[in-house]
Amino acid sequence: MSTKTPSNLASNAFVDSTPLPADIPKVDEVGATSAPLKSASFFIGAYCKDYNDDFMLCKNENNDPKHCLKEGRKVTRCAIDLITKLRENCGKEFEAHWQCLENNNQELYKCRQPERGLNTCVFEKLGLKKNIPGA
Amino acid sequence: MPVPFEALLPFGIITGMFFASASGFQAVKYYSNDKKFHRYNLDKWELQMMERDRRLTGSLRGQSDNAVAPTEFATNSVWYLETPRDKGQY
Repeated sequence: MSTKTPSNLASNAFVDSTPLPADIPKVDEVGATSAPLKSASFFIGAYCKDYNDDFMLCKNENNDPKHCLKEGRKVTRCAIDLITKLRENCGKEFEAHWQCLENNNQELYKCRQPERGLNTCVFEKLGLKKNIPGA
Repeated sequence: MPVPFEALLPFGIITGMFFASASGFQAVKYYSNDKKFHRYNLDKWELQMMERDRRLTGSLRGQSDNAVAPTEFATNSVWYLETPRDKGQY
């Protein structure tokens, strides 16, 4: 039965700690975890639309990781920029919304009230609207 | 004749056992999730995001809203390995 089917999984995992080659420009990674990213997702879509579209089209041409490194760096920098701005301008509403998401299985429909506060704050201070594509 | 409460005691004990085991399960789920509610209906995307959270903060439910990741994050991704397969499987 299941004890007899061969399994090819090894018990150890491999972590490759060699850094990227020195000729690739160094860009810091986005440090936000899943709940803040989900909270800021529509604003990242509005603020970084051009860079994101560039990256997606580039990936469409060729899915090799080496092909789209430059567009990827731009996307990362834009996301870091937006998260810094969100924290400076609307820090309290942002924190309230993603804490609410974290307590509710990260489902957006359960956290509409903090989301309303965040949307008004972001629209006043940063001019970004939440735009649901296709609606 | 009044209701014999002694006969209902076993039912009370059985119900109490249900409550005790359910509370025990809820407590285990709560404390193993960093004192947050357990997440459900997780698809592959959410599991991958939780693994990313573990690489960023050290725990599957840890959250942080730093803009910039710690330097270890760039190289601490995990690859799950396989042993060589039998030739007969091809």
